[in-house]
Amino acid sequence: MRYARRALIVAWKDLVVERRSKETLNALLFFSLALLFVFQFTLGPDRERLAAVLPGVLWLGFILSGVLGLGRTFLVERDNDCWEALLLAPGDKSAVYVGKLAASLALMLVVEAIVLALFTLFFNVDLGPALPGLALVIVLGTLGIAAVGALFAAMTAQVRTRELLFPVLLLPVLVPVLLGTVKATEALLLREPLASVAHWWQLLVAADVVYVVAGLLTFDVLLEG
Amino acid sequence: MPDNWSFVAAAYGLAAIVFLGYWRRLGRKEREITALRADRGSHQPSRTGHPRPDAASRAPLP
Amino acid sequence: MVKVLGWLAVVGIAAGLTMGSAVAPREVTQGNVQRIMYLHVPAVWVAYLAFIVGFVASVVYLARRRDTADRLAHAACEVGTVFLGVNIATGAIWGKPTWGTWWTWDARLTSVAVVFVMFLAYLLLRQAVEDPERGARYAAVLGIVAALNIPLVHFSVYWWRTLHQPPSLLKPGTSAMPPSILAALLINFAALALLGAYFIARRARVLAAEAEALA
Repeated sequence: MRYARRALIVAWKDLVVERRSKETLNALLFFSLALLFVFQFTLGPDRERLAAVLPGVLWLGFILSGVLGLGRTFLVERDNDCWEALLLAPGDKSAVYVGKLAASLALMLVVEAIVLALFTLFFNVDLGPALPGLALVIVLGTLGIAAVGALFAAMTAQVRTRELLFPVLLLPVLVPVLLGTVKATEALLLREPLASVAHWWQLLVAADVVYVVAGLLTFDVLLEG
Repeated sequence: MPDNWSFVAAAYGLAAIVFLGYWRRLGRKEREITALRADRGSHQPSRTGHPRPDAASRAPLP
Repeated sequence: MVKVLGWLAVVGIAAGLTMGSAVAPREVTQGNVQRIMYLHVPAVWVAYLAFIVGFVASVVYLARRRDTADRLAHAACEVGTVFLGVNIATGAIWGKPTWGTWWTWDARLTSVAVVFVMFLAYLLLRQAVEDPERGARYAAVLGIVAALNIPLVHFSVYWWRTLHQPPSLLKPGTSAMPPSILAALLINFAALALLGAYFIARRARVLAAEAEALA
């Protein structure tokens, strides 16, 4: 299982780097907090309106944090002259993709869990029985965001206009994921059963499969030079 | 329901402008390349004595 | 070849315009403003056909690394974006007298708008990457992901608009289309497809000339 080991090494390296510097984690957390305040101020104090837009606002926060965090996934290699090391990595380079995907996913889920907790606190939401379904939707949605994000991050790492190009590439592609997660979250927060939004989380599963398979098949093309 | 021919005209007119604009953009790019080739051709005299194809002898893009 | 396509396109457009404005009858419910459909609907068919061509060309490029495939992908995606833009604009112009508004977030308009932005991003990527070989590889990957995403976008947006909502007045697809209207639609589709093919062929040729001139 040399492939899995290589993927694990890449993921572990990213997570260790992150654990030591906490650069990205802290930035994402503070960004999400700032967003929370911005949402509160721009949407006004009307409780009912806030409750109605909460799913959208939550996922907007997740996706914007994702855009920020994912855009940087390969900067660690680019800035430290390690890009060539990636190019020279032996064997199937999609193992690097899996590693990057796993690390980004872990990082994003940590940030999202904290943000979700803060949201329930600040907007006085009772998650209760919705939590397991919500957890599933969050995992599925984040997997989709990270799968496309890791691929596009590799594409834009060496481009001069990276900070602008990455969100422009990522956001339109993620529309299905955004719709699926927001609609499913909306239903779950209204205490509807997970089965009532089966088509939405099935769409998320389908999208995740498409994105991950596309990533696995095309990633080493991106690392050719 | 009223016929709104002005809207029909506007739609077809807009499409015509877009397509014509694209067609002209293609033409402009072709002219740029021909000019670039002509430029290159005149600045690079043959060194070996073998005839070097220049812009004038290439078939122009139709 | 390009010239032939071009002249065929001109003939097709003349036929299409005749069919659309004179031969096809005045539509019963909407009046003559419905004639915009002869432009609006074939435009999106041609655009999506172009994106499919772009998808196949991108796959072929990744598999075989032939520059012709890369140029075809680039040209097809660019021309597809142009036709999609025409579709969106003509859709808005049709919408104003019919629905009373320039834009509405209905399923088809929204899906098409998202696809349009996706491929605009493709064109941006092409411009942003300086090294041509790397640009070709990256664009091929994006072209593949974007094309694969088209059905996902359409499904998600359609469900977003139609589930838990009362049925809209304008259902997608008419039940019975008078044969003359169908004929006009198909002839205009052929005309726009020829125009699209001509544009793609000429654009690809320009790309080839550019590559040769800058080599």
